[in-house]
Amino acid sequence: MTRIGLYLGCLIPTEQYAYEMAIREVLPDFGMELVDVEGVACCGAPLRHINLSLTMYLSARNIALFEKDDLDMLAPCPYCHQAVSETKHVLDGNPELRKNVNAHLKEEGLTYRGTLRHYHLLDLLHDIVGVDRIKEKAKVSLEGLNIAAHYGCHLIRPNDIPRPDDSENPQKMETLLEAIGAKSDYYNEKLDCCGAHILLNESESALTKTGQKLQAVQKHGFSGLATMCPWGHRMFDSKQDSAAQTVGGSLDVPVIYYIQLLGLAMGKDPASLGMNLNRSPVDRLMAPREGV
Amino acid sequence: MTIVDLTSMAKPEEKQQDRVNVIVKALNEDVPGDCYQCGKCTSGCEAFILLELEPHKVMALSKSGFIDELLNSKVLWTCVTCMKCKERCPQNLAPVDVIFALKNVAVASGKQIHTGYSNMLQAVLGTGYIQKPKEVVGRENDTATRDGLGLPPLPQPKDMQKLQQALMKAATETLR
Repeated sequence: MTRIGLYLGCLIPTEQYAYEMAIREVLPDFGMELVDVEGVACCGAPLRHINLSLTMYLSARNIALFEKDDLDMLAPCPYCHQAVSETKHVLDGNPELRKNVNAHLKEEGLTYRGTLRHYHLLDLLHDIVGVDRIKEKAKVSLEGLNIAAHYGCHLIRPNDIPRPDDSENPQKMETLLEAIGAKSDYYNEKLDCCGAHILLNESESALTKTGQKLQAVQKHGFSGLATMCPWGHRMFDSKQDSAAQTVGGSLDVPVIYYIQLLGLAMGKDPASLGMNLNRSPVDRLMAPREGV
Repeated sequence: MTIVDLTSMAKPEEKQQDRVNVIVKALNEDVPGDCYQCGKCTSGCEAFILLELEPHKVMALSKSGFIDELLNSKVLWTCVTCMKCKERCPQNLAPVDVIFALKNVAVASGKQIHTGYSNMLQAVLGTGYIQKPKEVVGRENDTATRDGLGLPPLPQPKDMQKLQQALMKAATETLR
């Protein structure tokens, strides 16, 4: 078993429980032992609007806690993952800033060293676990499903800090979908934003963005939309009804975390993947699909 | 937001411009000086059509130091942070980071912000997270909680008061 520290951030462990359940259920089958690291807190990304230093402090602090335990980090939230990548990028290239941040970390008895390796699910599954091992474990055929991929903006941009996939033409998620027997066609709106970031202060515009992308997915005739971001998933799945009202159309798109779909393909019990917590009509992806 | 200021007799606000530049430079990004107004950022901006955010104008005003108008404008807060502007700028500039920096300067100079943001800050200072674990409702209207689902307890900062103090210091002393 490979030990890897699980850093969930804020949104996953406080409401996106299905994502966490599926991660905890599926990854051990690929030889990963998930370790919960004590003492961590928010990644700081949501506070970047207020003060960049808060973001850097909180991320450096989480990194320091992982480094202390000598663990790699799995950050399944793109927003957290990007905060960690950016903090590392900044602190590793700026000794003075690093000194300042470490001076504050010292008050909590911590030190940022800059030795952490961190992953998102996308690169962990695609690059570390590998497509071949995923193919081996996928027993239940998903043939007949054509699933649209939604990466999440923060997962692929900006490219000048290392991101897990290409910024303009990411393909790893499609490869992972094909590995479990589904199709994943290209669609023009693939890189469109979910709107989550302005839900607080411009909710109608945020939901319009959500609705427009879902309308596009529906129009292209996809069987569903796969996500790897708790913020995007919350918009497309939990808020699909409000998004439909906002854009004045009817929306009926099954939205599923990729890791849930992987679990289904591995023959896992849907309850263990939190499938009852998805608000969108995901039953269609689970039901026997003969003749589809 | 308009670029009227550029042709008026307004004087640049150099102190605030410096502050914006300090924050942008901390991220290893260049300040807006090299922007030649090609508009590529705005053409791909996810907030442009719905919310009229025009990153190239933000860059023009920041470059010239006419930022008071920006600090008072709601438009900064319409950025969805998709980062396409930063990805696509032919000059390797980062409009999204300039917008973030402007928001930071607006907050530091006491401009009123949406309560949603201040609530998140309060929550992090109080508990370490932006919200507490919630009860959620599935599609068959069944409710679920973290405990009820058998998930382990949320990790907690060991000493919340120390974290709070460190955060307060970090906020004012990290970038000088």
